[in-house]
Amino acid sequence: MSSTASVLTRNNPHNGKIQSVPIGKIAIWWFLASEMMVFGGLIASYVLLRIHNGGWAGQAAHVRWQLGTLNTAVLLTSSLTMALAVSASRQDKLRRTAVFLGLTVLLGVAFLCVKGVEYTGELREGFTPASGLFWSFYYGMTGLHALHVTGGVVANLTFLVMAVRGDLWTGKQRRLEYAGLYWHFVDVVWIFLFPLLYLS
Amino acid sequence: MVNTGNDDRLYITIWGWLLGLLIAGVLVFTLHLATIPLLVLIFTVAVIKAALVIRNYMHLKAEHVLIYAIAGIPVLLILGMALMLIPDIVFHR
Amino acid sequence: MKTMVVVDAHETAGFWRQYVFSTDHKMIAKQYLAISAFMALVGGLLSYLIRSQLAWPEKPVTGWGFVGPDAYNAFVTMHGTIMVFFVAMPLLLGAMGNFLIPLMVGAPDMAFPRLNRLSVWTLFVASIVLLSSFFVPGGASPAGWTGYVPLSDVPAYTGAFWGINLWLVALALEFASFLMGGVNFLTTAINMRAPGMTLWRLPLIVWMQVSASVIFLLSVGPLIAGAVMLFLDRTFHTGFFVPGKGGDPLLWEHLFWFFGHPEVYVVALPGFGAMLEIFSVFSRKPVFGYRTIVYSTIAAGFLSFVVWAHHMFVSGMDPRLAAPFSVTTILISVPFAIIVFAMVATLWRGSISFETPMLFALGGLATFIVGGVTGIFLGSEAADIYFHGTYFVVAHFHYTLFPTVIFGGFAAIYYWYPKMFGRMMNDALGKLHFWLTLVFFNVVFIPLFLLGIGGAPRRVYTFEAYNFLKPLQPLNVIATYAAIFLLLAQLPFLVNFAWSLARGKVAGRNPWHANTLEWTTDSPPPHGNFDLQPVVYRDPYEYSLPDSSEDWLPQSQPAAPAVAAAAD
Repeated sequence: MSSTASVLTRNNPHNGKIQSVPIGKIAIWWFLASEMMVFGGLIASYVLLRIHNGGWAGQAAHVRWQLGTLNTAVLLTSSLTMALAVSASRQDKLRRTAVFLGLTVLLGVAFLCVKGVEYTGELREGFTPASGLFWSFYYGMTGLHALHVTGGVVANLTFLVMAVRGDLWTGKQRRLEYAGLYWHFVDVVWIFLFPLLYLS
Repeated sequence: MVNTGNDDRLYITIWGWLLGLLIAGVLVFTLHLATIPLLVLIFTVAVIKAALVIRNYMHLKAEHVLIYAIAGIPVLLILGMALMLIPDIVFHR
Repeated sequence: MKTMVVVDAHETAGFWRQYVFSTDHKMIAKQYLAISAFMALVGGLLSYLIRSQLAWPEKPVTGWGFVGPDAYNAFVTMHGTIMVFFVAMPLLLGAMGNFLIPLMVGAPDMAFPRLNRLSVWTLFVASIVLLSSFFVPGGASPAGWTGYVPLSDVPAYTGAFWGINLWLVALALEFASFLMGGVNFLTTAINMRAPGMTLWRLPLIVWMQVSASVIFLLSVGPLIAGAVMLFLDRTFHTGFFVPGKGGDPLLWEHLFWFFGHPEVYVVALPGFGAMLEIFSVFSRKPVFGYRTIVYSTIAAGFLSFVVWAHHMFVSGMDPRLAAPFSVTTILISVPFAIIVFAMVATLWRGSISFETPMLFALGGLATFIVGGVTGIFLGSEAADIYFHGTYFVVAHFHYTLFPTVIFGGFAAIYYWYPKMFGRMMNDALGKLHFWLTLVFFNVVFIPLFLLGIGGAPRRVYTFEAYNFLKPLQPLNVIATYAAIFLLLAQLPFLVNFAWSLARGKVAGRNPWHANTLEWTTDSPPPHGNFDLQPVVYRDPYEYSLPDSSEDWLPQSQPAAPAVAAAAD
């Protein structure tokens, strides 16, 4: 059935501009919009409660901003490799796609490892999610973000397998582009979580 | 869209900017400024970084207005919600 | 009638592929319908238990036994949750949206058929999770369908540790299901329209369904965030909503109602859409003010995001916020008043025929006006402080959602049943169903208005402790008898539905002489919907055109048939 549907979409005789947006792109942005509302709700709650409670400077001083900075750099770099992978797949350079996707996956895993090191250190010092509202938000938001990173790593891994096997045909190239959009979005969330949790 | 490879160079330039901004933000943090200027600076840096990623890596600069609407309205709603909650949460009791 | 040339694997697919794990939007719509019908049964039985307990407190309920305070709280919570999330949304968005959007825009299926299948199965799992919470230790969630903290936050306050956790999981799955469904609604309406089907030629119900999905998407995120925080509070002993730990209970109420109020429009708009389609067809007139209705819908959608705190006037929120929210609340009645006026103007001087779908649509319109007008009382802060904790709110709420969801839903079922199943429903039984439903609905809820004005508090399992309510107890008894009859009044519908499946009059393609595209194909439509790609030439409501010999003109018909006199 889906094939009939997509043929109709592709051969749509309309010239109306709004139909030129591929359905997959609308779908992924729709998904990202709902994610924005979820993370936005969390971030708004965090900011408001933090101001209300007078800053939590004491608790916030215990996070390791050096590791956070490292992780930000890792995630920003993985965004670059993802963009390069998508661009390589568009030019049908499968090897190049595979290399950059592999790098993206490695950087994603590296991010999770660093996060794990941070969590272990903090838990060892006795800071659990119940040690105060700052820590609740810290674990809640970074944990939810880490889940998203994990999901992205799994998705990228699937595309890596496809690229290595050489079956990244046109439709899947589009899907890789959408996986890229998701990965960049996860990066953008971190760009805000980093100053919110580590620098302020 | 025919890809000529020029995009790749743009991506790398953007990455350079992102890392530069990251370092700038962290340097500001280590200066131990007063709270308000610190917050203004680091969040300005964050917004610029996010804008760079969204415009270039996520290609928002080349998208249909529909995508702008889907991406932009949630941001406005969250900002609106947060503003309306200020009296109730921040100044509660 | 042309024979179908499209024969594909689906026609020969086995039972599982065809009825259970189908990707056909029409079968998925029927699955949504089945889920919502079953859940409506559960929700209806819960309302019987609730009403019986209120009318005859502390006495065993016939067919059930003793209810008591804990079970009563769980029943009220589950009644609300089931009716809003597992009946109204699956019926109006899930079933009607899925069935109608591809057919009305002239598409062979939804844009993402497999995502569509995933969404209905996610809802199925959500329903199982929710129902299973009745059977866990501590019972189902007794924290109210709004799950207010701190009652829902600290397990010791309710004793229902698993009940509330499962409630949260079920809601999360339900939200995921309708986010996936919404992707399909939006992409199909934007990108899969038949040639000639411009945005301004879309039937209004498609506009309403898509608007509802967009409103849902934009409002549900903060509540998901809140649900995550509540879940962490319950399981990891964090303190997001606990004042002693720096949290704020009001935050939950804000996050809930930021979603909760737009949710009212998520379920109301598709009901309005169904009514508008039916008014136009059964009064043989174009919908009055098509574009005005679309603009009003969009305006209402935006305004729905700035009214939420009118649910919280008595919550202890900042009084400086109350006045602006009062103003926006009164403001949002304007677009809805416009839509209601457009409905009335559509009927004005039409050649109205009172068949069952039309009766239900008219009943919905009439009762909704009561709901809308009583909303003004609650929207004004000063009056709300008196009314908010009383049965007035319960009655108002049911007067807004019952007309849109139940009357609108039944109107839609009676109207599109021939298209869904290929046979007509019995009109006499349908009329019996309508009149009984209309009468008993009002007899249930008018007494509740009176009880509310008399000061009867909601959220209590018995009024025995209140001496000033003793004289009003007969109102409770009347409402309860009426509620029982209202439930029994649904029997003619069930009989009619089942009997018509096998024995109803064969409907043919277009039994109502309607214009929209779904009526140009077979009843029920084949897999792939249309024998030929339909092409659209005109607006959806061109009834009774002066220079046409027929009083209806399908959207896919290029030119109007000439008037007989002109041919002479």
